[in-house]
Amino acid sequence: MNKSMLKRMTHRTEFWIFIVLIIMCLLIQAISGGQLFEPTTVVTILRSMIVDGMFAMVCLVIMVSGGFDLSFPAIAALAYSLSTTICLNNGWCETNPIPGFILAVIIGAVLGMLNGWIIAYFKLNTMIVTLGTQTFFLGISMGLLQLKEITSTLPKSFKALGTSYLFEVYNSRGLRSTMSSLFILFVILVIITSFVLNKTMFGRALYAIGGNEVSAERAGYNVRRTKFILYTVAGAVSGFIGMIRVCLASQSIPKALVGKEMNIIPAVILGGASIFGGEGSVFGTVCAISIITVVSNSMLLIGIDTYWQDLFNGAVILVGITVSALQAMRRKG
Amino acid sequence: MSEYLLEMTGICKSFAGVHALDHVNFAVRPGSVICLAGENGCGKSTLVKIISGVYTKDEGEVTFEGHKIDKITPAEATKLGIQVIYQDLSIFPNLTVMENLAINSEITAGQKVVNRKRWEKTAREALSKIGYDIDLYAKMGDLSVADKQLVAICRALLFNAKLIIMDEPTTALTKKEVDALFKTVRQLKEKNIAIMFISHKTEEIFEISDDVCIMRNGKNVYAGKTADLTREDFTYHMTGRKLTNDKFVPKNVSKEPVLEVKDLSLKGAYENVSFELRKGEILGITGLLGSGRTELALSLFGLMKPKSGEIRLNGKSATISSPMEAQRLKIGYVPEDRLTEGLCLRQPIADNITLSSLKRLSGKFGILNHKDIYKDAQIWVDKFSIATDDPHKYASTLSGGNQQKIVLSKWLSNDLDVLILNGPTVGVDVGAKQDIHQLVHELANDGLAVIIISDDLSEVVQNCNRVIVMKDGHISGEIGSDDITEDNILEIIR
Repeated sequence: MNKSMLKRMTHRTEFWIFIVLIIMCLLIQAISGGQLFEPTTVVTILRSMIVDGMFAMVCLVIMVSGGFDLSFPAIAALAYSLSTTICLNNGWCETNPIPGFILAVIIGAVLGMLNGWIIAYFKLNTMIVTLGTQTFFLGISMGLLQLKEITSTLPKSFKALGTSYLFEVYNSRGLRSTMSSLFILFVILVIITSFVLNKTMFGRALYAIGGNEVSAERAGYNVRRTKFILYTVAGAVSGFIGMIRVCLASQSIPKALVGKEMNIIPAVILGGASIFGGEGSVFGTVCAISIITVVSNSMLLIGIDTYWQDLFNGAVILVGITVSALQAMRRKG
Repeated sequence: MSEYLLEMTGICKSFAGVHALDHVNFAVRPGSVICLAGENGCGKSTLVKIISGVYTKDEGEVTFEGHKIDKITPAEATKLGIQVIYQDLSIFPNLTVMENLAINSEITAGQKVVNRKRWEKTAREALSKIGYDIDLYAKMGDLSVADKQLVAICRALLFNAKLIIMDEPTTALTKKEVDALFKTVRQLKEKNIAIMFISHKTEEIFEISDDVCIMRNGKNVYAGKTADLTREDFTYHMTGRKLTNDKFVPKNVSKEPVLEVKDLSLKGAYENVSFELRKGEILGITGLLGSGRTELALSLFGLMKPKSGEIRLNGKSATISSPMEAQRLKIGYVPEDRLTEGLCLRQPIADNITLSSLKRLSGKFGILNHKDIYKDAQIWVDKFSIATDDPHKYASTLSGGNQQKIVLSKWLSNDLDVLILNGPTVGVDVGAKQDIHQLVHELANDGLAVIIISDDLSEVVQNCNRVIVMKDGHISGEIGSDDITEDNILEIIR
């Protein structure tokens, strides 16, 4: 039993991603002369993982169900820009950020519902639908509502939340770095996602639908309702993540997240999620997002031009998708 | 209580005014195997869907265990003890065996939270029902078709099934796996579980079933004991016509061979294969799976390059390096798996038929005329009596037999010398099979040279005037006209 469990473990993408993460870290640590594991670097990297890591959870859950969502950054962007604009105009959130978050979650849920409705009831290809809604949402924010950038006038409680920290660290040269308290929310989302995917029938339904939608329907799952709920919740969570980004960046820029999905999706695929659905885990996704964040943060550390990051990201997409396709091919025999 | 577990009388169901079921009577005795047989589109699946609650009947009475049932929903059917194992088995390839076994009952029980221990217990209980042993943590997608099927059966048994409906369960199985499946079926029978078996394979039906119900055009034409039926009766009830098993007699054989193969070899596939083929002949190539018969065919069509040897066409040496080259040399090939290799299912019937004759149909500058395509296609639709009212419809709307006719007409609409048919009637029902055979006979007598590659010995015996038997890549025997019998072929294969 023990032996077969080990064998099963080594067959999983997650296992190898974890190994790659460790090797990568050790390599960068060596090349950068020990800078990677300095407390300030570690804290900086963890901090920059918050938003991407949370988006990756949303993306993962959708990919498990066999979907391919391009619109979650657009939902987040419209939700936070609209929410902060409303807060600013009404003078809300100067001391308490919660109304802004609630507003963003509601807006996100409504936008997600639109996705869910089209996808569940018209049974259309999710990538095409979300490609459409992505552009549509950006159009609403830029054209219809003409939402503006909010920087220095941003409600004070958002700024305060963004700069609040759990602890501070110093490196050998006396440089200070703080661990944002919002990191806790990332950890909570990871735990919730993991629980939902593994321990609830809803989560197993997502795997079942991703594996074989017709069978899931025959087994007694309400596939339509499940998908509708999935995209609505994904929208709500995206809106929430959007607000976190506003706090961390101390600004609300409607176009800031354009193209973000192209960084997140490859990471999720690298982490073992299949583009054909039914595969993927929280652990693998966190490892993959760590790899990408570590690499992009370390480029400066080891003196590589940041333009190389595109090359790296592109390579990750290709490797991830190829592995995913190979696995699917093997599954079909 | 009546002697029947399930009794259905006078069942009617129509879709948009078309009678799919017309006063059908159907009854299942407990602990028996009943076979529901019939050609594609006869209403078999509609009847099954009424039993499983997917469709509601328009008229008629259903009695289960002596109780009259007015309306069945899928959930109620499960509660009554009716389980359907669909052809695709409804499994989740990405989940483990354990999850596949337990998930349905977990959903039915309305569970919201996953409890691994309970899942495992459920899964073990399912496996114990037929004493089947398999790694619970193996991924479903990694199992063989036969194992997947056993898992699906175990899963069905969890619901205290009294009637298990199996929709064409043997399609993707090898002979050995079919035997294993039948063993399980007999085991279930002993437990007083009734099995309803949907099939159109004559041999299997006679082997496993106690009763048989034959349907044709939405009516049941025969219901009774299988033992009271001869194979000829069976075919007659299925198709509604007396099928004449005319053996092929070549009438028009050319003097010179059109195709000569000399010492053709491809390492690992076949070695030193030599034969001749004349116009007007139907040559059978048979042998077990892996005997090299398919590889040989692929080489003749330019899809596999032989290492050494010679192929001569009309007396001239030829190198067939690609399917394009093969077509130029007037060789046609109808593959084994017509669905993936021979047809574009999501394309109109007409486009499929004319696919390999576009060059002939295109005018100056290679521009195609839509009207010409449909005119050309209509000729073949009529000639082969392909069952469609409109060639604009997708090929996927047709039954297996009619799809096979499309694949054939695709090739025949080009002028050919040699036509290679690989497993021409696999998955095709008896009536369409007969049509296809008849057609091939006519083609041969019109001067086409045909090669049939098949492991269906009765097909080979009936249609070929010469048979080559292959074994481990070698030709192990050749039989001519009168000596072609199943026994003689089997002798050589063994």
